Amino acid sequence: MNEQQQMIAEMADDLFADLSARKTSDSSWEAIESVGLPSLMVDADRGGFGGNWCDAVIVFRLAGYRALALPVVEATIAAALADGAFDGRGTIAPAAEGTLAGDRFDGTITGAAWAEGAAYVVAPAPGGGSMILDMAQASIGGAANIAGEPRANLAFQGATARRLPADIFALGALARAAQIAGALDASLAMSVAYVNERKQFGRPLAKFQAVQQSLATFACEAAAANCAALGAAQAQGRGDGDYAIAAAKLRANRAVGVGTALAHQVHGAIGFTHEYPLHPLTRRLWAWRSEFGGDSHWSGVLGDRICARGADQFWADLTAVTD
Amino acid sequence: MQTFVPESITWPDTAPALRAQVRALVAAHVDRGDPRRLANSWAVPDPRFSRALGAAGLIGMTWPQSYGGHERSPLERYVVLEELLAAGAPVGAHWIADRQTGALLIRYGTEEARERWVPGMARGEIYACIGLSEPNAGSDLASVRATARHDGDDWILDGQKVWTTNAHHAHVMIALMRTEEGSERNAGLSQFLVPMDAPGVSIRPIIDLTGGHDFNEVFFDGVRLPANALVGVEGDGWRQVTAELSLERSGPERYLSSTALLIELIRRAGAHPDTAVRALIGRLAAETWTLRLMSASIAVKIARGEDPALEATMVKDLGNSFEQAIPELVQAAVEVDPAGPEPLGLVLGHLLQLSPSFSLRGGTREILKGIIARGLGLR
Repeated sequence: MNEQQQMIAEMADDLFADLSARKTSDSSWEAIESVGLPSLMVDADRGGFGGNWCDAVIVFRLAGYRALALPVVEATIAAALADGAFDGRGTIAPAAEGTLAGDRFDGTITGAAWAEGAAYVVAPAPGGGSMILDMAQASIGGAANIAGEPRANLAFQGATARRLPADIFALGALARAAQIAGALDASLAMSVAYVNERKQFGRPLAKFQAVQQSLATFACEAAAANCAALGAAQAQGRGDGDYAIAAAKLRANRAVGVGTALAHQVHGAIGFTHEYPLHPLTRRLWAWRSEFGGDSHWSGVLGDRICARGADQFWADLTAVTD
Repeated sequence: MQTFVPESITWPDTAPALRAQVRALVAAHVDRGDPRRLANSWAVPDPRFSRALGAAGLIGMTWPQSYGGHERSPLERYVVLEELLAAGAPVGAHWIADRQTGALLIRYGTEEARERWVPGMARGEIYACIGLSEPNAGSDLASVRATARHDGDDWILDGQKVWTTNAHHAHVMIALMRTEEGSERNAGLSQFLVPMDAPGVSIRPIIDLTGGHDFNEVFFDGVRLPANALVGVEGDGWRQVTAELSLERSGPERYLSSTALLIELIRRAGAHPDTAVRALIGRLAAETWTLRLMSASIAVKIARGEDPALEATMVKDLGNSFEQAIPELVQAAVEVDPAGPEPLGLVLGHLLQLSPSFSLRGGTREILKGIIARGLGLR
C-alpha cells in the first residue's frame, strides 16, 4: 500500500469498526458521507478523491471485514459511473430484463442493493453495456439476500435511462470479490482468537493438530481471495479487467466454501447461534458468492474465452494481461 | 488479520521480449514428440537444452557478471522461469544450480569455489544436487546424523543422504552435515560443497513407482575434502539452509507442474466444449491466474530484501494442492484412456502417478501447514 492508501485504509477501518459496533441508522450513512467515502473514485476536479480501483478494493475489503451493514460499496461504484450526473446516493444491480429503446427503459431491475433511499441505480442494459436511471421513476419491491442485506426488484415504465459503456456486472463482481476477501480474513481472525481461548480436554483447541491444520488451510484460501481481488483491481485499473475479474470472482467464490465450513467447524455450536458474531460474516459470504455471478457463470465465461482462443494461446493470453 | 499482503506487481518492461526469446528457444530446441516430457518439466533433465539456455544468457540471470551471471532483475528471472515451465521445457539438469546453489556459493562460498563452479553453472554445464534428507531425517531435517570432522586442515565426511534428486547427473552436492560432535537438532550443522566424483562418494539409484529414476541414495565413506569445502560459517548450516526456503517454496515450479495437462485438456475441448469441461477449464485457469500473482508477489518481496517465509509456505501448500488436484479432476471430467495413445491420456496417466510426490518434495503438506499454523499464532 502506498501512503495515500494507508491513510484511506486507516480512516475507513476506524469508521467501519465504529459503525459495525452499533446498530446502523440514518446517521450512520451520514457518517460515511461526511468523510466523502462514496466519492472515492470520483475525479478530483468534481470534488472526489480521484482514487483508482486498487484504492477502492482496499475500502471494499474493509467493508467486508467489518460486515458493514451500509451500502458504501455500491454507492462508491455508482458515483464513479454517474460522473456527477446525479445528486444523492446511488446504487447498483446485477440484472435487468426488458427493453431499452433509445433512452426509454421498460422492464425490471433485480437485486438492487439498498434501493430504498437511493437516488439512482446502475444496472446492466439489455443488449450490453450498462444503464443509469433515476430512482424516482422506480416502483420498489423490497426483499433481502440471505444475510438480510436489502436487495430490491425495481419496476420501470417508460423511464429515462442513459447508457454507460461500463460493465456493471463485472464491476460488481470485482467489488464482491474484495468483500469476500475481507470477510474471510475477519472469519479467520475470529476463528484463531476463539480456538486460542476455548479449552476442551484440558487445553486450548489451538493445541490440537487437527485444528491447526484446518486453520492453516483456511488461511491459504483467504490469502488466495485477497490476491485475486487485488490482482483484478490492478487489471481493471489498466483498463483490461475482463479476464482478471472473471478469475478473481471465481477464485474468491471457491474460497468461501472452504473458509465458511472451517470457521463454523472450529467454532462448534456457539458459532451457529444468532448471538455469536460469526454469522454476519458467513451469511454475507454465502450471499456474495451468488451475487454478480456464481461459479458456473464465471467459469463458463472464462472457459469459453480460453477454448475460443485454443490450447496454444492459454499461457500467452494469461501473461499478456499483466505484461 | 491479513495473512498474505499481495503486492502490486509491476512486471519488467523487458518481459515481452524475454517471453519471446524463451518461446523461440523452446520452439527450436524442445522435442514435443512425447507429451509426458512436458509435464513436471523441472524434473526432466536435458543437458543439451541446459547448455542452449546458458548460451542464451538465461541461467544465473541475477548473478554478477564476474561469475558468468547476467545481472538481470529477480522479476526478469521470474518471467523466464515461468515461461520455461509453462512451455514444458526440460530444465531439470540445471534447475537446482540455478535456483539455489549458484546463489549460495556467491553469498557464502570461498572465492576459489565461486570461480571454480559458478561460471559453469551459468553456462548450463555444471549441475548440483542438495543433500538434506537422511534415512532418519526426512521431514524432520534437524535429525541430520551424517558427519564432517576436522582432520588437520581437511574435512572427513561420513554418513548417508537419501531422496537426493539428480545426484546421478550432478557435479556437486551441497550437503548439510553435523560438524559438532554431540550437538542436537539444528545446532552444530554446516554446509559443504562436495564434488560428486570425490573418492568415497557413491550413489545408488532409487526407482520411483513410475519406473523413473530421479531419486538416489548417496553415501559418504571417509570422503576427504579441503578446508575450503565448507560453505559459509561452521555451525551456521541450519540458518543458511532455512534462509533459502522462501525462494525454494514459492517459485513457479510449485504450481505449474500439471499445466501441460490443462493445456492438453483445452486442446481436447476444442472451441465448443461441453458444460462440465468448460467449467473445469475456467476453474483451473482462475486458480492458475491467482497462484501466479501469489508466487510473483513473493518474488517481489524477496527482491526487496524481505524474507516472506509464511507467505511462501502458503504458496507452496496451495500450489502443490492445485497441481496435485488437476489429474483427478481431468480424469473425472473426460473419458480418456490414461495409458494413451491420445496425448491427453498420456499426460494424465503420467501425472496421476507422479502427483502424489508434489505434496512431499520440498516440505510435506503437513510440515507446511504446521508452519502456517505457527504463523497464525496457534503453536
